[in-house]
Amino acid sequence: MPLLTGFAEWETLPLLVVLSSFAPGVVIMFLREDQRGLRTTLNMIGATLKLLLVGLMLTGVAAGIEYRWAMTVLPGLELVLIGDALALLFVTLSAVLWMVTTIYAIGYLEGSPNRTRFFGFFSLCVTATTGVAMAGDLFTFVIFYEALTWTTYPLVVHRGSEAAIRAGRLYLIYTLTAGALLIVGAVGLYASAGTLEFVAGGAIDPQLVHENPGRYLIIFFLLLGGVGVKAALFPVHGWLPVAMVAPAPVSALLHAVAVVKAGAFGVIRLLHSVFGIELATEMGVAAVVAAGAAFTIVYGSLRALTQDDLKRRLAFSTVSQLSYITLGAALLLPLAHIGGLVHLVHQGLMKITLFFCAGILAETISVKRVSEMGGVGRRLPLTMIAFTVAALGMIGLPPIAGFVSKWHLGLGGIESGAEWIIPVLLASSLLNAAYFLPILRTAWFDPQNAEWNAAERESWLEADWRLLWPALITAGIALGSGLFANTAWSPLGWTRLIVYGGGL
Amino acid sequence: MLEILLVLTPAVPALIAILWPLQGVRRALVSAAPWAALPALFLALHPGAEGTAFAFPAFFTGLHLAIDSTSKVFLVFTSILWFLAGAFARSYHASDPRKESFFGFFALTMAGNLGLVVAGDVLTAYLCFAVMTFAAYGLVVHERTSPSLRAGRIYIIMAVAGELCILTALFLLGAAAGDAPLFGSELERAWAVLDEEGLATGVGFLVAVGFGVKAGIVPLHLWLPLAHPVAPTAASALLSGAMIKAGLLSWLRFLPAEIGMPALGATLLVAGVGTAFYGVAMGVAQDDPKTVLAYSSVSQMGYMTLGVGLLLLDPSTAPAAAFAVLLYAIHHGTAKGALFLSVGVWDRVAVPARIGSASPRAEKGGAGGSKPLLVILGAALPAAVLTGAPFTSGARAKTALKDALHLVGGGWYPWLDPLLLAAATGTTVLMARFLLALHRREPKGDPAREPSHTRGLALPWVALVALSVGGHSLLPFWFPLPEGIDFPRVLVHLPEATIPVAGGVVLAWIAWMRPGWLGRAGRWRIPAGDLVVPLERTVGGFRKVPANAMAQEVERRLSRIRTAQVWAHARAAWVAERDLFLIRGPVLALLLLALSVGLALLMP
Repeated sequence: MPLLTGFAEWETLPLLVVLSSFAPGVVIMFLREDQRGLRTTLNMIGATLKLLLVGLMLTGVAAGIEYRWAMTVLPGLELVLIGDALALLFVTLSAVLWMVTTIYAIGYLEGSPNRTRFFGFFSLCVTATTGVAMAGDLFTFVIFYEALTWTTYPLVVHRGSEAAIRAGRLYLIYTLTAGALLIVGAVGLYASAGTLEFVAGGAIDPQLVHENPGRYLIIFFLLLGGVGVKAALFPVHGWLPVAMVAPAPVSALLHAVAVVKAGAFGVIRLLHSVFGIELATEMGVAAVVAAGAAFTIVYGSLRALTQDDLKRRLAFSTVSQLSYITLGAALLLPLAHIGGLVHLVHQGLMKITLFFCAGILAETISVKRVSEMGGVGRRLPLTMIAFTVAALGMIGLPPIAGFVSKWHLGLGGIESGAEWIIPVLLASSLLNAAYFLPILRTAWFDPQNAEWNAAERESWLEADWRLLWPALITAGIALGSGLFANTAWSPLGWTRLIVYGGGL
Repeated sequence: MLEILLVLTPAVPALIAILWPLQGVRRALVSAAPWAALPALFLALHPGAEGTAFAFPAFFTGLHLAIDSTSKVFLVFTSILWFLAGAFARSYHASDPRKESFFGFFALTMAGNLGLVVAGDVLTAYLCFAVMTFAAYGLVVHERTSPSLRAGRIYIIMAVAGELCILTALFLLGAAAGDAPLFGSELERAWAVLDEEGLATGVGFLVAVGFGVKAGIVPLHLWLPLAHPVAPTAASALLSGAMIKAGLLSWLRFLPAEIGMPALGATLLVAGVGTAFYGVAMGVAQDDPKTVLAYSSVSQMGYMTLGVGLLLLDPSTAPAAAFAVLLYAIHHGTAKGALFLSVGVWDRVAVPARIGSASPRAEKGGAGGSKPLLVILGAALPAAVLTGAPFTSGARAKTALKDALHLVGGGWYPWLDPLLLAAATGTTVLMARFLLALHRREPKGDPAREPSHTRGLALPWVALVALSVGGHSLLPFWFPLPEGIDFPRVLVHLPEATIPVAGGVVLAWIAWMRPGWLGRAGRWRIPAGDLVVPLERTVGGFRKVPANAMAQEVERRLSRIRTAQVWAHARAAWVAERDLFLIRGPVLALLLLALSVGLALLMP
């Protein structure tokens, strides 16, 4: 396939991937509210195009190509987009999940107002996420990271209710403060080390750090404060559960994948591409991050236990599970990095499934609380099968994806000499079981306890197909990622390529 | 060919479970579910099966299936039990509105159980074990009544605790091996590494406890006497016959017989003997025949635990001990399966006396009829087998265990031998208690039921009773005998074999006919689940106080001191999901402080 190979070698592919959601987003902004067909077509074309381009880049990277597209903004400051294995891990995740979430959102928002605004910002938000993933240096990263904040805000307040406005204000306070920290940190880094480049294994000369350790400690924690807010590290996780007032597709994509993953990805970049894990370990900051992540894992799960609102329970679960990624990245040796990175994908797949299902429950039978879920398995069996797969995966039961992450994290922890993470993982599994298994029991085995009509289901299609299929697809991928973990194209296989190929 | 059978062993039941969401094919799947055990049975009976292996590296973390002499033995009785219990359940649940749910969980549990038997590496085994454990929850709570949900809760809590122990052990074994080790030499090397680090015994205990929950050793047995009575009869038969043996099998698979672990071995040995007695003592104090059988399973697992203890105590006795455990597992699996099915047959086939006598015999449905006595007699056969009466598989298994015990040094034999004799006497009493309890249970048979359902219940039962009584005489032609071990004869020491049976019968007779001789001990009753009851009361004591009342009380007492308000806010924020207002201020202040400090310090 010479033609395909020719395309795959195209240097500008990273830019095209970013533009594939930017262009439709901008165009949609100018559409009228009633131009539904055109809006949907644009969305689907963008999503499909992005998938195709990402597919091309995947084949290219697998064949050894490293993409780099740069544009000089100011003398010495470049906007750099790179497409290496690590960037593509995140890009592929967001491209695939953008596709399914778009379908879900079209079904979910059917008939509700302000859809043009919603889909416009939705596309822009994915654009920013893609940019964060492919950012080749800290400058580009900051630009897209800030863009992500601005494009998500309209989605959080989409409903326009008082609670939504309040949540949006809180979200802005958190993320803008974080953004300021990030910028100050970046400026400090540029002033001190003279580089903003992301380099696998670390961009900072260890000698500089040895000469002035205090300065670099401050820079590190400024940058960590910047990315830690979106990564929902304790104690700056507070915005996440509140932002759950957003519509289900927003919670699903943004708060299970795009925004929080941008934060977690930022932590990975900070530890691995800016400082380098060896230097970070030597400075002792990696241990601080690991300890914070471990605490967040347990804290988030503890908070999830007491939530009755399904989405809030899932949100605290996100707080907890996200820190698996941070924890894995903060340990010294490769197996742990594999565990953390692969969880970036696995957690996204499982959590988006859970949010999709929560949305189906709310839309189809108006069930929003765990205590109202009695017997919903009989009304929505396929939804609850998807939910069950994802929930069991979150607990970390084999063969679902979550186990693969946990297994590598555990082995990596022991390998890195951090045996203390085993109790953390066990406590997390236990707590996950404690807040997910009762949901499953209620849904499958308890009698109906809310007002919905059990006979309403007309065919096997228990809900709007645009809501049901995305949930089934992501649950299927989550199961498949575990079942076929050992293949080269699974998230695990790709992560191994990143870590063992020196891409981290 | 053998590889195909090996793959089909877990794949066929797994496929049935995977297709379950498709409602159009459910009826066909229900019919097919029992037959899904047949590939496993063919494989187990195939003379050349040993040594077959299959690897599917792309799957999961590398899926390995293998069959050796141990898996062959477990596979044969496990697959027979799944097949016969499945056939039994088809009739038992013929008019059950939740029949489809039952067979869905049935197929998934079967996939896990059969997969575990042929698993070739630790993670495949863990995967299958987890599938079996969590799918079996659906069988336990099948009735959806409050006792079954309570049993399910205890079951799942203990199962999760067990899983965590196993997972910890797997992490350490995996780290020692560099990756998930295969059973056999790779796992042995991992143990050797752990041994050098001084961790082997600790990890060994984790494995013992983790799988011990399934095997039901005291005090990890709590779920067992609760789950068995509430589960549908076929599921009880599978739990006792096949699934608790999965815990035993996992011990044999995971624990390093070649290295030996004296401390763990001695612990298991003592725990085994204790469990054997404990099961009897609790079992005779029960009224429900299924609970009696559950406690009997606890007691019998004690013998097998003792065998595993012997195996670890002294590597030189390992072959003899492993052989005895295998023989015991196959013996108990078939006998206990038959006993549980007896209860189901009694419930459904035996017609209550007053209905039976009121209607002419001809109207009672031909082959079925009202034959309580026949059911009792049929149940007495596997009961006798279980007591180890001469000429039964029980006699063989106990002889093998005793032979292994002879080999072990360290002064264990002189005091274990009489203890085992006493425990065997207890087993006889327990079986007598079971038969009495069964006899007293109200039969619920419907005289107007379909004859085909009667056949569907009776045939699997008769087959399993026949197998438990006579099957062992076929074993010498098939059983993989280890080197230097003879197949134990059915009658080695006549006095030793008859004393427990005769003694037990006498004791049972006294308890039944002359309860006065026993004083208060004759009226001893313990609620099913024994230790669970005080435990639940303790936990429930905390939970039953209304949260609000407790909070108000706390706040009232604390309101006198100033810090109390802070505390009350913190608590309210935690409970009422308002953490923001508590931490927003300080956190933002911290962020801003960090910002300004950063700016100040970075100024050149």
